[in-house]
Amino acid sequence: MAKTTICILDDEAIVGNRLKPELEDEGYEVETFTDSMTALKRVDETCFDIFITDLKMEGIDGMAFLERVKDRCPKSEVIVITGYATMETARESLTKGAYDFIAKPFRIEEIKTAVAKAKKRRENPS
Amino acid sequence: MSSLGSSFSSLKGLLQKGKKKQVPFSDLFIWFQDILEKNNAALAIIADMDGKTGGDFIFDKKYLSDNVKKLAELVRRNAYNLNYITDNRYPELYGVIEGIIKKLEADLSGKITASEVPKIYFLDKIEDGMEDVVGCKAYNISRIMALSEVGIPDGFVVTIGGFRDYLAYNNLFEAIDTALEKCKNEPEAIESISNGLRLKLLGGEIPPSLRRHLLAAGEQLCGARQDRCRLAVRSSGIGEDGSLSFAGIHDSLLNVQFHELLSSYKKVLASLYSKAALEYRLKMDILSLEMAMPVLYQKMVKSRVSGVLFTLDPNDPDRDESILSAGSGIGEAVGGDSEVDTFRVLRNHPYTVVNQQVGSKTHSPASEEPDVSPMKDPCLTHDEIAAIMDTGLLLERFFKVPMDIEWGIDEDGQLWILQARQLNIPASALAQHTQQKNVADGYPVIFRNRGMVAYRGIGAGPVYIVKDEQDLGKFPKGGVLVSQFSPPWLARAIPRASAVITDIGSVTGHMATVAREFRIPTIVGAQIATQLLEAGRKITVDTEKNIVYEGIVQELIRYKLLEKPSFETTPEFQILRRLLKKIAPLYLTNPDAPNFTPKGCRTLHDVMRFIHEKAFQSLVKSGKNSRSFIKRGGKRLKTDMPIDLVLIDIGGGLAKTAKEEVCVDPEDITSIPMKAIWKGLSSPGTWSTEPVPVDMKGFMSSMTRTQGTEIMGNALPNVNLAVLGADYVNLSMPLGYHFTTVIASIGSSPQNNNISFRFAGGVTDITRRSRRASLIAKILEVIGFKVEITGDLVIASSVNLMEENMARQLFVIGKLIGFTRQLDVLLKNDEDIDYYFNKFMEQIDNPANPQ
Repeated sequence: MAKTTICILDDEAIVGNRLKPELEDEGYEVETFTDSMTALKRVDETCFDIFITDLKMEGIDGMAFLERVKDRCPKSEVIVITGYATMETARESLTKGAYDFIAKPFRIEEIKTAVAKAKKRRENPS
Repeated sequence: MSSLGSSFSSLKGLLQKGKKKQVPFSDLFIWFQDILEKNNAALAIIADMDGKTGGDFIFDKKYLSDNVKKLAELVRRNAYNLNYITDNRYPELYGVIEGIIKKLEADLSGKITASEVPKIYFLDKIEDGMEDVVGCKAYNISRIMALSEVGIPDGFVVTIGGFRDYLAYNNLFEAIDTALEKCKNEPEAIESISNGLRLKLLGGEIPPSLRRHLLAAGEQLCGARQDRCRLAVRSSGIGEDGSLSFAGIHDSLLNVQFHELLSSYKKVLASLYSKAALEYRLKMDILSLEMAMPVLYQKMVKSRVSGVLFTLDPNDPDRDESILSAGSGIGEAVGGDSEVDTFRVLRNHPYTVVNQQVGSKTHSPASEEPDVSPMKDPCLTHDEIAAIMDTGLLLERFFKVPMDIEWGIDEDGQLWILQARQLNIPASALAQHTQQKNVADGYPVIFRNRGMVAYRGIGAGPVYIVKDEQDLGKFPKGGVLVSQFSPPWLARAIPRASAVITDIGSVTGHMATVAREFRIPTIVGAQIATQLLEAGRKITVDTEKNIVYEGIVQELIRYKLLEKPSFETTPEFQILRRLLKKIAPLYLTNPDAPNFTPKGCRTLHDVMRFIHEKAFQSLVKSGKNSRSFIKRGGKRLKTDMPIDLVLIDIGGGLAKTAKEEVCVDPEDITSIPMKAIWKGLSSPGTWSTEPVPVDMKGFMSSMTRTQGTEIMGNALPNVNLAVLGADYVNLSMPLGYHFTTVIASIGSSPQNNNISFRFAGGVTDITRRSRRASLIAKILEVIGFKVEITGDLVIASSVNLMEENMARQLFVIGKLIGFTRQLDVLLKNDEDIDYYFNKFMEQIDNPANPQ
C-alpha cells in the first residue's frame, strides 16, 4: 500500500524540521514548506493526503491556504496549528473544512494522534 | 516591546514627579494582591518554559518571544506596583529589569551579550549558565567536571569578553562583518575571504590588559616550573551547543610552551574564520549569528599510557562493541610510530574484551584456543579498560552521540579525559544502519504511555530502586533510577543514571529540571514503575515513544545514537536554554543577605522575589505589635495553643462571618495554605507540654541572644503574623528566639504552587544552632523540599506539586514550627539529630511520604 503523504507548512522552520522525522518514523511520507506560495505550487502538482498548516504567515496565510487546499483537494484532511489559538480562529478554520485545530506549542504525541485520526477518516469517510 | 518600554518609562516619570504619599492600609491589600497575582502568573510562565526543555513539545520562536514579552510586562508592572506602595523607594529596579530584558531580547535575536564579563575564567570557576561567556567546549568540560569521577586537566578559558577586546583593539569588527556578508553573496570566494580574515586576525595585537591577564593565568596554571609547562590550546566556540558539531574545524595546538601563550591565542582565534568553519556556517545557515571564539588552555597530562576510545565501531556501528586503542607514552593521541594495542570491548558491564591486538599480534581471549607464540603483555589491565569504558559511556549518555575520546592514564594510575568529541560515522556505514527503523519491535514491553515525559531520549541499564537518601550512595553508574516519589534529593544520583522513572512527580519539579540539565531520559508520574520493576532487572527506557522494554535493546540505543542531531541542536531550543538561565534561577533566597537588593537581582525570578518580599515588608511594617494590627483590621486567632497569632486577610483568606470580630476561630480560616499549616500547628503532640530541660551552658548562651526579629535583621514586627489570601499565606513567626517565615501559594493548578520556608536564629551557641539547622533540613528534605543550609540559616523551597501534596508539606511545617521551639537546648551532640529526627517522624503518619 502506498504511504500516506503529509505536507507541513509553517513559516518557522523548526516545526517542519522536528515533525518530519517524527512522522516519518510512523511510516508517513513527509514534505515540509516554510513558504505558502511554494507549498501551493506543490499542491498544484499533487494532493497530499494530509496537510498540517500554520495560520499566521506572510503572503498567503493559513486560512487562505486551507481554503485553496480544500478547493483543490477536497478529499485531503487539514490540521491547523497555531500560536494564536482563539475560539474564533478555531471555529473559522473548522467551518472552512479543517479537520482538527491544535494550539502551539504542542506535544509531538498530539500531532501524531491527530494525524492518525485524519488518516483513518480519509480511509473510511463516514 | 520597545513601545511598551517607553510608555512604561513615562509612567515611571509620572511617579517620580508625584508628591509624597501614604497609601492607605486597606489599599495596600489591593496592591499587594495584585503583586501576588502577577508574581504567580510569572512563575507559571517560567514553569511552562522550563517544561519545554524536555523535548516533548514542539515550540517556535514566537512562543519564546511571546513569553518573554509577557514576563517583561508582568515584572515591569510589579516594579511599578512596589514603587507605588513604597513611595518610589526602589527606582533602581527599573534599570535592573530593563538590563535583564535587553539581554533576553538579544538572546531572542541570536546575539550574545557578555559585555562586562571577566576576560579569563578558570575551568573550576565556570558557573551554570555561562555557556555564552566561556564557549561550549569549556562549558561542557565544566559540566563534565560536575559529573564527578571524570578527571579533567586543569585549565582556563579566555572568554568572549577577551575576544571582543581583541577585535575592538584591532578595529576588526567592521572588516569581519563586510567579509561575512560577502561570504553569503559569493560563496565561491570563500577561500580568499577566509585567508584575508585569518591574516587580519593573526596580524593583530593583544590588548595590554588582556595580555596581562593571560600571562597571569598562565603563570598560575603552570606554577613554578614554567619552562617545563606544556599546554593544549583549543577553540571553545559559541553557538556550538551540544558542542561537538564544530569538532576538528577549529584549530587545536598541542605542546604549547609558556613563551607561546600569546601567539597561540591569535592562532586559535584565526581559525574561527578558516575555510572549513565558514563553509560549515554557510551550510548551517548560521553565518549571521554572531561568531565569537573563547579560547581554552589546559595543562597537558604526562601519560604513562594514552589512547583513543571510539564508543562505537564507526565502520560497523551495529556491532555492539567499542574500539579502544592504547600506546605507552606521553602523547596526547597515539602516534604513528609507537606500538599500539587495540581492544574490541563489549559495550556493557563487565566490558569483556572480545578481541585484542597487542602490538602486531591478534588474539581472541574469548576463544579457548591455546596461543603457542609468546605475546607481550597488553599495555592496559582489564580494570583500566573498564574504567575507560565506564567514563566513555557516561560521556556518550551525556552527549547523546557516539563519542571519540582521547584519554590518558598518568603514572599514578589516574584516568584523564583529554578531548571528547562526537565520533564521525562514515555515511556508508550510516546509510546501511538507518534503514532499520522500528528496531525495538519484537522486544517485550513492560509498560507504555505511563506518566509524563520530562526528558526525551533512550536509556538502558539495571533497575535500581531508591527508597531513601541512604540508597543514593550505592547507586551504580548507568543504572535506571526508579523511585516512588520525585523528591529534590533524588537529583544527586541523576548524573550517574541512564534513565529515571518515578511513580509520582511533576514535569516542572526540581528533580525533573535537573534530569533535563543532565539530559537523562526521564518519565515522571508513571504510577506503577516501583510495582512492576524489581531491582537488578535490565530494562530499556524509551521516553521518545514512552515505552519501557524488557532487556537491553542495543539496536534501539545505537539507532538513537546514530540518528540525526536531537532537538537540542535546534536554535529554538538553544535560545530557550539561554533565556531560562536569565529568567528561572532564584539566587536571592535570603532577604537578610547583603545582596538582597535590586542590584543583587540576576534573574527575573530574583526580581520577582525581591518585589514580593519588599511589598510584604511594607505591608506589615506599619504595625508594631498585635494591637496595632488589630486596629487596622487584623484578627487575633482564638486557640488553646500556646501561640499568639494575628491574621490579616487581603481577600479570601478568612470566612465572611468573621468581618466584624476582633477574634476569629480556626474554622474561619479559608486560606488553603494557612489551613494546612494550622492543621499541623494545632495537631496533637505539636506543642509538647513536657518541661524542656535547660542546661547551664544553653541557658547562659541564651542570655546573650536577642529577640528573633533582630536575629533576622529585616525590621519585621515582633508579632506572629499571617497575611492571608484564598491561595496564599505569608507567615512570619518570631517565636521565642528564632524566626520562621513561610510563604506559600497553593491552589488547584500545580504550575502556580510554591512554598518557601526560612528558619534562623535561636538561643544557644552556634554549634547547637547548626545542629538544629541540620535536623530541620533533614526533615524538610524527607518531605520533598530542596534545602540549603548556611550556618544556622535554613532555606527550603518546593514547587509545582499537586495541591494535596503541598498541603501535606505545610502540615508538616506546622508541626515543625512547634517542634523547633523545644530544640534550642536539646541537641547536645550530633547523635541527637538522628534521635529527634526519628522522634519527629514518628508523629508524621507516613514518614516515607516525601510528597
